[in-house]
Amino acid sequence: MIAIIKFPGTTCEFDVFKALSEAKIPATVVKYKEFDPDKFKGVILPGGFSFGDYLRAGSIAANTETIKDIKRMANEGKPVIGICNGFQILVESGLLKGALLPNLKLRFISKWVYLKVVRTDTVLTKGLEKNKILKMPIAHAEGRYYVDDIEYAKNNMVMQYTDNLGNVTEDANPNGSLFNIASIANEEGNVIGMMPHPERASFKLTSPDGSTDGLLLLKGLAKWV
Amino acid sequence: MGINLLPIEIDEVRKRLRREPNEAEWKVIDAVWSEHCSYKSSKILLKSFHMEGPNVIMGIEDWQDAGAVDIGDGWAIVVKIESHNHPSAIDPFNGAATGVGGIIRDVISKGAKPIALLDMIRVGDLTLSKNRWLLKNIIAGIGFYGNSIGVPVVGGELAFDEMYNDNPLVDVACIGVVRRDKIVPSVVNKPGLKLVLAGLTGIDGLGGASFASRKLSGEDEIGAVQIADPFAGKIILDATLEIADKVEAIKDLGGGGLAVAVTEMANGLGVIVDIEKIPLRVKEMNPMDIIISETQERMLYAVKEERVNEVCKTFEQYEYPCSVIGEITGDKTIRFRYNGKEIVSLPSELLLNPPRFLWPIKKKKKELKKYISSSDIELEKALRSVLSHPDLVSKEWAYSQFDYEVNTSTVIKPGEADSSVILLPNGKLLAVKGDANPDLCDEDAYECGKGIFAEAYRNLASVGAKGIVAVDHLQFGDPKKPEVYYSFLEAIRGIGEASRFFNIPIVGGKVSFYNENSKGKEIKPTPLIVMAGLVKDKFLRNKVEENSYIVLIGYTRGELAGSLLSKIFGISSEVPKARLQEDLIASELVIDSINNEKIIFAKDINRGGLAFALFGIMTYGYGVHINTRDILSDTDNIIDVLFSENGGRFIVLTNDPQWIVDKAKSKGIVASVIGKVNKDSGVLSLNEIKINLSNLINYHFNFLEEVMKNG
Repeated sequence: MIAIIKFPGTTCEFDVFKALSEAKIPATVVKYKEFDPDKFKGVILPGGFSFGDYLRAGSIAANTETIKDIKRMANEGKPVIGICNGFQILVESGLLKGALLPNLKLRFISKWVYLKVVRTDTVLTKGLEKNKILKMPIAHAEGRYYVDDIEYAKNNMVMQYTDNLGNVTEDANPNGSLFNIASIANEEGNVIGMMPHPERASFKLTSPDGSTDGLLLLKGLAKWV
Repeated sequence: MGINLLPIEIDEVRKRLRREPNEAEWKVIDAVWSEHCSYKSSKILLKSFHMEGPNVIMGIEDWQDAGAVDIGDGWAIVVKIESHNHPSAIDPFNGAATGVGGIIRDVISKGAKPIALLDMIRVGDLTLSKNRWLLKNIIAGIGFYGNSIGVPVVGGELAFDEMYNDNPLVDVACIGVVRRDKIVPSVVNKPGLKLVLAGLTGIDGLGGASFASRKLSGEDEIGAVQIADPFAGKIILDATLEIADKVEAIKDLGGGGLAVAVTEMANGLGVIVDIEKIPLRVKEMNPMDIIISETQERMLYAVKEERVNEVCKTFEQYEYPCSVIGEITGDKTIRFRYNGKEIVSLPSELLLNPPRFLWPIKKKKKELKKYISSSDIELEKALRSVLSHPDLVSKEWAYSQFDYEVNTSTVIKPGEADSSVILLPNGKLLAVKGDANPDLCDEDAYECGKGIFAEAYRNLASVGAKGIVAVDHLQFGDPKKPEVYYSFLEAIRGIGEASRFFNIPIVGGKVSFYNENSKGKEIKPTPLIVMAGLVKDKFLRNKVEENSYIVLIGYTRGELAGSLLSKIFGISSEVPKARLQEDLIASELVIDSINNEKIIFAKDINRGGLAFALFGIMTYGYGVHINTRDILSDTDNIIDVLFSENGGRFIVLTNDPQWIVDKAKSKGIVASVIGKVNKDSGVLSLNEIKINLSNLINYHFNFLEEVMKNG
């Protein structure tokens, strides 16, 4: 069973639940204070505005008891996935290195983007071809990934923003992220943060071209339930 | 004392009360009797609307916060529209954000889950930096609130006119879903229920309802604007939906604050409120200010005594204030006490029955403007001027700031088609659209009222949906000006007739008067319709393919008054008549064509006329070739043919044009094949003339981004 954590201000918990159901992965939405780590084999921190994103996006959630429990799970090698605000929580809590800075355009940006899978040794990308192109939406105001350690970024990035042919270009970078990074994971590949929303690219009806690339990622959790 | 009542109303209060009210009582009456809350200048005329139908569960009954209609399978949708025009003129970010918060609370007060927002924005000339500042902050404010609470903004309008230089219009509509048998009323019908208030009360938004019911003074009115806190709004949203079936009534605290909320909720019964029990954001607030404060993110619940703990426990989980502040009584009196001392005691009957006004009317004289004949305008100049007008450019800069994908239910997304389409919990698809046309309303508010209703109907048809419900928002200047009130009356007459013709009930609405610029000139009449409809069978997601046939459904007429072309060049022409039968049948034809998979693209013709509908095809990276002689029209003037905005028309793309033409004939209307799509990207071919519009297409996509880049 995968836990989808709801903090006050989280908005995407039911979307993730619906997408996991579509991927036939058992999951349940858990309020953050009621989270019992022993009951779950993996965790998703969904998108939204946890605690109103007061102070800094994700920073209050990152300092809850819940995140301490989740750190233990991560150390045990269980999957910990952060999507959008969940990614922000992962970097704020130190589970992933780096920071998510305000978009270069200094405003919220909602759009469908192309992504290239550059690491296939993570929980979500194992089994996908290297350089596979995926289509998914982003929706955030603070998604510009930055880290001082260039080598860390290069070695750990999982997906990059590209054009529809897989070229990593400045035009294809929606927020100004270092190396067009859309997703990054720890070395072990079990803690993954991503700004794009796979759960929003999991249903044929609501996808602009009928593609459901988000499911390709979420199905990676099937082994962990 | 700062109250806004008319001398005749002040006399009326004294007469009916048979005593002089104290200061606190005057403030309560001022709030409850404000135009914003009481609809005193509009209510009589609004009664003429078509409000009933077999699908209507809750209409414009007195003091219900929103209307509701049945959508089958035990589900209902709740629809509500609001504006935050005055606050947005002073503090656009908070003004627009609290507009979203307010409408969300109206929807959850029915126990419904908000699933979609629409925003219809009108601002002034973008060459003025003040207007860019207003627009930037209005859009950011809507995004800030909507995104934070996880309700997608799925569509809207963004239009410009120098009339809105000092008075932007910020309209938001919200759709909610609820099980039909779980709809919660906003009014109570028995004494003894406890009044439970969630949220803290502060000093922002003091006298906001009264502020919204008068002209902007130009003085410091920032204290009347509320501050938005979407995190608190999200908690209110989640918690209210958790407790909705444990309470007897729910009421949003909006205009007029607690004074209005308790009066309306009691609905003729009495109320006693102990002010000292109201949790405050700041210490030592004046009890009078507590009563009329419009601090956001507060809700009022009427709860059976034995369930109070259960209700407040839900809020405790979120660490959100929840307290019993009073109860419903049987004595038909609205009472506020402070530490045992009664400071307000007014009969419900007095508060709920303000004097209603019908103001004098006078038809506006046509201004003697300099007009030219449309045949004097050069074709290419007309094309470039109209197609580059800010009303018609891509609005991606705005909607990309909204999280329109949250809920994973947005099927047709902003910018994709004439209507947005969302997936409902019963698996059905709902199309929604908001339409206004102030330029046409300025020419003839009656034809315009009919026209915008028909336009909304056609917009829904273009994605395969049939309209089932509408709400209206009537935005005008000072109703006491006879010419303003005349256009108000005419707009209502037009909307009402169209609603009866299409048999689509109006289940709610809003009136906003006193919209004027700093020189006291009223805005153009801006009634607005938001319509929702269901897709019965298939829906259409537009695409463009080379060699598709371009078919024009409906007659084109040389009636250009109120058109965009006329706005730019000043053309002497007639007002387009709304021919509702043509709108209805053409819409049925489009829906049939979608269900039979005969068309791949459909666009309603309105702003910018046929020229803009064709340009819309070209923005997909194609060219179009048109034989103008094949356009069925009452005029040979090519400018009139291309830029007329008369209704009853669609452009569709098909590979089986004969089917459409025959089907049209079988229904008693016309359709003709007027051209084809080609791969000559950016080129508009009219007969033998080729006009390259590639640079206009770039301009179309980049204009707002460029103009807003530097604030």
